[in-house]
Amino acid sequence: MINRHLLPNEIDLLVDGDVGFGVAPLRAHVRQCAECRAKVDEALVVVNALEEIPHIAPSSLFADRVMSQVQVFQPWHVAARDSVSRLVPRSLPARIAAGAIGAVAASVLGLISLWIGSRLDVLTFLSGAAVQRGREVAALVAEGIVGAAFGPAALGVFRAMGTAGLVVSTVALILAATAAVYGVRRLAVASSRRSGGP
Amino acid sequence: MTSSLDLQNLPDADVVALAQQGREVAFRELIRRYERPVFSLVYRMCRDRTTSEDLAQETFIKVLNNIDKYDPAFKFSSWLFKIANNLAIDHLRKRRVSTISIDGSPDATTASQIEATSFELASHGESALEALEAKELGGAIERAIASLRPEYRACIMLRHVEDRSYEEIAATLDLPLGTVKTYIHRARHELRKALENAR
Repeated sequence: MINRHLLPNEIDLLVDGDVGFGVAPLRAHVRQCAECRAKVDEALVVVNALEEIPHIAPSSLFADRVMSQVQVFQPWHVAARDSVSRLVPRSLPARIAAGAIGAVAASVLGLISLWIGSRLDVLTFLSGAAVQRGREVAALVAEGIVGAAFGPAALGVFRAMGTAGLVVSTVALILAATAAVYGVRRLAVASSRRSGGP
Repeated sequence: MTSSLDLQNLPDADVVALAQQGREVAFRELIRRYERPVFSLVYRMCRDRTTSEDLAQETFIKVLNNIDKYDPAFKFSSWLFKIANNLAIDHLRKRRVSTISIDGSPDATTASQIEATSFELASHGESALEALEAKELGGAIERAIASLRPEYRACIMLRHVEDRSYEEIAATLDLPLGTVKTYIHRARHELRKALENAR
């Protein structure tokens, strides 16, 4: 039992509803001492009034205004995971079926890769043939452009120059076309100014 | 995908983790949870709706644009309240500087100097907006809170309106625990006196 009036911090302990073992003698004292009980009651009036204070709402557009200035950044790994998860079916049977098909497809692709890997000579031959075919197609396209622009005589000259000649002539043609477009634009602008246009 | 309905049952830390993954619904959920507490704190500090709305908005923009820097060792709400309180205190400091001439120069040391450098407002009547705000922050307790020092106001609001522990308030306001206890004790004392005078 405490035989003196409570200190301010002891009254605060009671007001805050502290439940530590040191609070029991304080409570016992308050039950006996009218002066301390009055102090605790007065403090509780303030605390109760404070705890009844409501929250105040901002305007209804508050969240939208905040979000208009927040940059929502999605890390690449989350975006990738989302893309994959969109492809995964929702129902369990569909997931099982998709899993089985995926496993079969992976097995087949794996076997094909192993077979190709075991025949590197075939792989080298096929890639060489693909590169050669690509080069031929590119040359045909370039010859078509040069032939259409300068005629068959020029095409004969460029053929004599070989692949390097075709590349140089194609680049020169593109540059000339760009310069022509730019020149026509400048002429149009100058003409428009002279006639008092915008 | 997580819907906003699912998010309502998640703790703050999980919602923040989803926001860090760029989920817009998580950002909106954090705003939904804390727009009222943050706005209430700032409004009771500044007592001006437009300013408080701007400051609360700035608080959320700062926090949400830096969500990737959030340290999960601390409570998200403590971080939010810390920024809101700092913005409100900064605003009050600036306002004090801009209105200091009404009460006299800060350099005035004698009564005559203060009188010479101060002036009275032409009208003491409340504007319609002020009257509305006074009604909104109506009761005697609200007026008593408004009369407290800003530091006391923040502590008492966090303690009794937001139900924060003394330790959380100390961490939120960057104050020693003993200072928080002192501020809350003094604030309660001043509020009790103000309420007695109001009766």
